Amino acid sequence: MKRLQFRCLSVLFLVFSLLLVGVLPGFAKAEGNLVIAGRDGGYGKALELAVRMFKAANPGVEIEQLKLPYGSLYEKLVISFREESGAYDLVMLDDTWATEYMANGWLLDLETTGFRVGDDFISTALSVGRYPYKSGSLYALPIVGNVELFAYRKDLFNKYGLGEPKTWLDVLEAAVKIDTSERDVAGVVFRGTKGNPIVTGFLPILWGFGSRVVDDKGGSGLNSPNALAALTFFLKLKRYAPQGVELYNSSEVRDALQQGDVAIAIEVWPAWIPSLDDPKVSKVVKKIEIQAAPGLISGPSPMLGAWLMGVAEDSKNRDMAVEFLQFLTSPKIQKQIALEVGIPPTRASVYKDSSLVEKYRWYPSQLKALEDAHPRPRITKWSEVEAILGDYLQLALTGSLAPEKALGEANERISAVLSR
Amino acid sequence: MYAPGRHRLVWVLLLLPALLIVLGLTVYPLFQVGFLSLFRYDYTAGTKEFIGFFNYIEILKNRFFLTSIRNTVVFAITATAAEVIGGLLLALLFNRPFRGRRLILPFLILPMMLSTMVVSAIWRAWFHFDYGFLNTVLGSVGLGGVRWLFDPDLALFSIVLVDFWQWTPLAFLILLAGLQSIPNELPEAAKVDGASRWQLFQNVTLPLLRNPLLLAVLLRTVDSFKLFDKVYALTGGGPGLATETISMYVYREGFKFFNVGAASAGSIVMLSLSGVLAVVYAWKILKGQV
Repeated sequence: MKRLQFRCLSVLFLVFSLLLVGVLPGFAKAEGNLVIAGRDGGYGKALELAVRMFKAANPGVEIEQLKLPYGSLYEKLVISFREESGAYDLVMLDDTWATEYMANGWLLDLETTGFRVGDDFISTALSVGRYPYKSGSLYALPIVGNVELFAYRKDLFNKYGLGEPKTWLDVLEAAVKIDTSERDVAGVVFRGTKGNPIVTGFLPILWGFGSRVVDDKGGSGLNSPNALAALTFFLKLKRYAPQGVELYNSSEVRDALQQGDVAIAIEVWPAWIPSLDDPKVSKVVKKIEIQAAPGLISGPSPMLGAWLMGVAEDSKNRDMAVEFLQFLTSPKIQKQIALEVGIPPTRASVYKDSSLVEKYRWYPSQLKALEDAHPRPRITKWSEVEAILGDYLQLALTGSLAPEKALGEANERISAVLSR
Repeated sequence: MYAPGRHRLVWVLLLLPALLIVLGLTVYPLFQVGFLSLFRYDYTAGTKEFIGFFNYIEILKNRFFLTSIRNTVVFAITATAAEVIGGLLLALLFNRPFRGRRLILPFLILPMMLSTMVVSAIWRAWFHFDYGFLNTVLGSVGLGGVRWLFDPDLALFSIVLVDFWQWTPLAFLILLAGLQSIPNELPEAAKVDGASRWQLFQNVTLPLLRNPLLLAVLLRTVDSFKLFDKVYALTGGGPGLATETISMYVYREGFKFFNVGAASAGSIVMLSLSGVLAVVYAWKILKGQV
């Protein structure tokens, strides 16, 4: 009897194990549910608000929202699209990823669905969702009107008789003056962490000095005297930055500004600018002036950093996904998200709304910056190019490589990537 | 009693699911990675081209990869040595009764219960140059602030410090178990023969602790070689290349650039290095048991 029991148990255990291995992959996405892959943080809260409102207006619709960090979102989307898993209906993407996604046919052409765009969207932000850039079909809509802005302490500038910084040389002059005169205030702060942080801080300087990462022929543009001048200037700024700036990221820059520890931040983002005027966290309420990044050889070159949303080409809920996208980008919802969460809109009419301008005094400057904004190069390999440039910028920043050598090696490696 | 053939069959059937999982999740991916390392494979574009060992030649000439190997080896040796020595000292201390021993022990092993991201967040705050706990303490005794994470000469050793804080308790537990398995008669006999404390430690305790020591060294070395999470959270591989490790390099190539061939080659190199170490240690442990 015991022998029989043991044999039965063994067989049952074996069958159960094999079934488990066979059944687990069967937990696929249920039909009719929308799955949105998006960012975490403030962006996640904004989407959550929109999802709640959409569900209230459309009872019976189930929406699953994923909130993911930047790197993780990119990885998951690429793998899902390459494997044609159909895991997501709507995807949030950085504008730098858009060219790759559109070129690979991963996003639905919105114009084939009868979608009407209108002319209220800010054209620079709308253009990056087109492939080819500016003129082609529309594959993604801008949902976050991010543009890199520049911030400075107006009170300190007035104290030392410094005017509004129009060029990068004005910025350096102000940083030197304030850093040497104020005991506990550094002249300037920026993100020095390698990769995307340091590159986004450096790009407006590079453009201001008349250089580009990718030239008009599609090759590397870093092998130029202007690029070297830009990098040399960037390293000069570091002398007037707080200790440890090599590892600063968004939170450190924001905290340094909020606590009154720095006079100038060369890169601030709309998503957290409102906190500068929040007395609960900021010691510099109403003292910070926001404007587009200065120029020099070229005019002001604010960097576009829009977040887009597209419908996955392999989505099984296209109609519902397009309907949600229209809802999310409508003026009413953009205004509500801006008011409640602080995420910047992408429609010009919303920027001019009096209740928003009253709450966010820099909105007129932000709209102007968006209208003048430059996107990063529209290439499929931007992630790799940015990582290489970020590595070498940090090597130069830490003094591990001379600027000429850093730019030279970066130029060589980026050229190799662009030629693939 | 079962007939031998049928007995073996039952055990094989019972082990089969586990074996299939090991084959599927360990052996197959290993061969797959080795195979892919022979290709130039752009995952996003879906293009694959056989290039033989070219990926290995390229990465072994690459400044970033060579620096990552050096950093990984330095980290593995330094962290392992510090943790095993620290663990041994703690084990010797806790191997004797003292007041409050049972109360202190749980707090001692608390760091290794925390997730690495929590540990990294704590230490990132402590390392802050202006507001961090460490520089505040140094400032209070008249010393200047230390550039813990942004001095290229110091950053890697700052991460060693974090790893030491988190994983010394593991070495401590292994060695304490080893000490407590030593029969009391041996040290007592040595004392009766007039051995000093140091002679007792050197000639009785240490030799008997050989296998637990090797085990602690093996576990910590293999784990240190895989260093990724602390670097990702604390420095991102910077400043410059100061804390770039093989895992970080493979992650970037594989999951940011999706250059699967180069990432696979980097993985095989890392596996080879840690594999050699693991075999050496394991052989020494097993040799001691013969």
